[in-house]
Amino acid sequence: MATAITAPPLPQQEYAGGTVAREQVSLWVDAWRRLRRNKLALIAVFYLGLLVVMAIVALFWTPYNPNKLGVCDTYATPSGAHPFGCDESGRDSLSRLMVGTQVSLIVGLGTAFMVLVVGVTVGLVAGFFRGAVDSVISLIINIFYGIPTLLVALVLYTLLGPGLLNIMIAISATVWMDMARLVRGQTLSLREREFVEAARASGARSGKIIFGHIFPNALGPIIVQATFVIPIAILTSAFLSFLGLGVPPPQADWGGMASEGVAAIRFVTHIVMFPSIALSITLLAFNFFGDGLRDAFDPRQKR
Amino acid sequence: MTRGTLIYIGQRIGLIVVTLLVVSFGVFAAVHSIPGNAFISEHLHGQDLKDVLHQFGLDRPIPVQYWDYLRNVVHGDFGQSFVIQGQDITPLVLRELSVSMELGGSALIITVGMGMLFGVLAAIRQNTWVDYTLTTFAVIGYSVPSFVIATLGILVFGLWLQDLTGGTVYYKIAWDGTYGTIGELWLPAVALGLYTSGQVTRITRAAMLDVIQQDYIRTARAKGLPSRVVTLRHALRNALVPVTSILGPLVVTIIAGSVIIENIFGIPGLGKEFVRSITAHDYNITVAVFTLYAALIGVANLAVDLVYTAIDPRIRY
Repeated sequence: MATAITAPPLPQQEYAGGTVAREQVSLWVDAWRRLRRNKLALIAVFYLGLLVVMAIVALFWTPYNPNKLGVCDTYATPSGAHPFGCDESGRDSLSRLMVGTQVSLIVGLGTAFMVLVVGVTVGLVAGFFRGAVDSVISLIINIFYGIPTLLVALVLYTLLGPGLLNIMIAISATVWMDMARLVRGQTLSLREREFVEAARASGARSGKIIFGHIFPNALGPIIVQATFVIPIAILTSAFLSFLGLGVPPPQADWGGMASEGVAAIRFVTHIVMFPSIALSITLLAFNFFGDGLRDAFDPRQKR
Repeated sequence: MTRGTLIYIGQRIGLIVVTLLVVSFGVFAAVHSIPGNAFISEHLHGQDLKDVLHQFGLDRPIPVQYWDYLRNVVHGDFGQSFVIQGQDITPLVLRELSVSMELGGSALIITVGMGMLFGVLAAIRQNTWVDYTLTTFAVIGYSVPSFVIATLGILVFGLWLQDLTGGTVYYKIAWDGTYGTIGELWLPAVALGLYTSGQVTRITRAAMLDVIQQDYIRTARAKGLPSRVVTLRHALRNALVPVTSILGPLVVTIIAGSVIIENIFGIPGLGKEFVRSITAHDYNITVAVFTLYAALIGVANLAVDLVYTAIDPRIRY
């Protein structure tokens, strides 16, 4: 028996019939390719990148101390030394605007993260286990849909007390339902698909099926939904600040600055103008980015 | 109306009642747990404060207080204000509701009217400059915060054009009981409605584009009907279905927005009252306004779902 056992010939590296098959690309690469074609979304991404840089710069350096009173005349209009003017306490508006970027971004991203965790968990559980669990969760979701969001945030924030984390919790409580409902729907339809059946037949446990098979396949819509939470959270936190229930003073944030500016609108307009513009453009950028992302992840969906 | 529909309505009303109970208890427990109370002051502390709290029954456990509150509510009594001495809440809230309804109703008309007009125009002129302008306007509409639009409006019409408008966009601080006139109301209503009109525009546009491609539209055109008739009578009627479905969430958004708008313009409605009451620990008002809004949303959602069946006979309950 001297015949050596030869290994079977390796499969050929290239498909013999030429490259007919479409190149395999991941969800991310595919989405990025489509997003790149959307000019509006690209501009938004660029702007948001600048915003992040600004927030990081403001951690280490601002033209003046944003909370120091009397660095210039009160209500000073924009000038060379203070390009965005000064507020009613003589604080430099540009410095405060820069620091305010941090608050907006933290609230936006933090809330989106909280909503992601809560909404995805609740949605997966409701969609996967169905039955009584689903009924209870759906009832809770319906109750939350039946109450005015901003009022919930107001009550909750007053109850929890001032603080950045509490703002995020209060806002999350008002927007988690959309995510939960989306994930529930996705789960309900995905759990009937063949690959889930195959996984179950091969003995996978519920946890493995939920997080290994269903969740990755619902990832696209989940990311899009989370992106849309960011502008809503920034807007709601600006509303809270505007009503005097925002981050505790002297911390600068755009909603609070705009509110101070409205009080002074009869004398000067620059105080309300700059935070309003910053807020509007940022929300616009997040919405354009979210729209682009949605089209990129789900090209079949009609706009 | 079939028997099934009646059962469906019964179930929905049941859900509304459950929602109201859960929500009112939640808010009740929450506001009563906020540190501090309406009576604490320099003149009132120690034993005196405890006496006052006892007099109002505020020293009892929250479930007991809620049960008492609920019993009064069933008899139409929402209690008294803690801050304004001897003020019954029921007439106060009803009066403020009428103001908020006037503002919110105007905003709803503006938002649906403008949104649908723009949506239809964008759809029938798809991929032209009309379409691009209107869809961009829609995104701007729901990206610019309502208080920014309100501020801009006050600036332009209240201050710069004061000679023309007479600065009527501010309400008098002390409200004398008359409703806002159209001259006073249009700016707050537009500021409130612009945000949601963007959503209506997008939904209408998408729905119209969907409907326009269908065979019966081609048939209608082939029969030689004028395009105005095809657009309005054949296409728009079916495009109404998805638009109707967002009317419920629209009411919720408008209520939330009215809190901001009423505070900017000094309009004495429920939203302004709510913010005042929550910072002043005027618990009964907070709970009453909150529950009233929840009831309003529940009824609005039910009404929308019933209208749904009327405009789309395929939907049956």
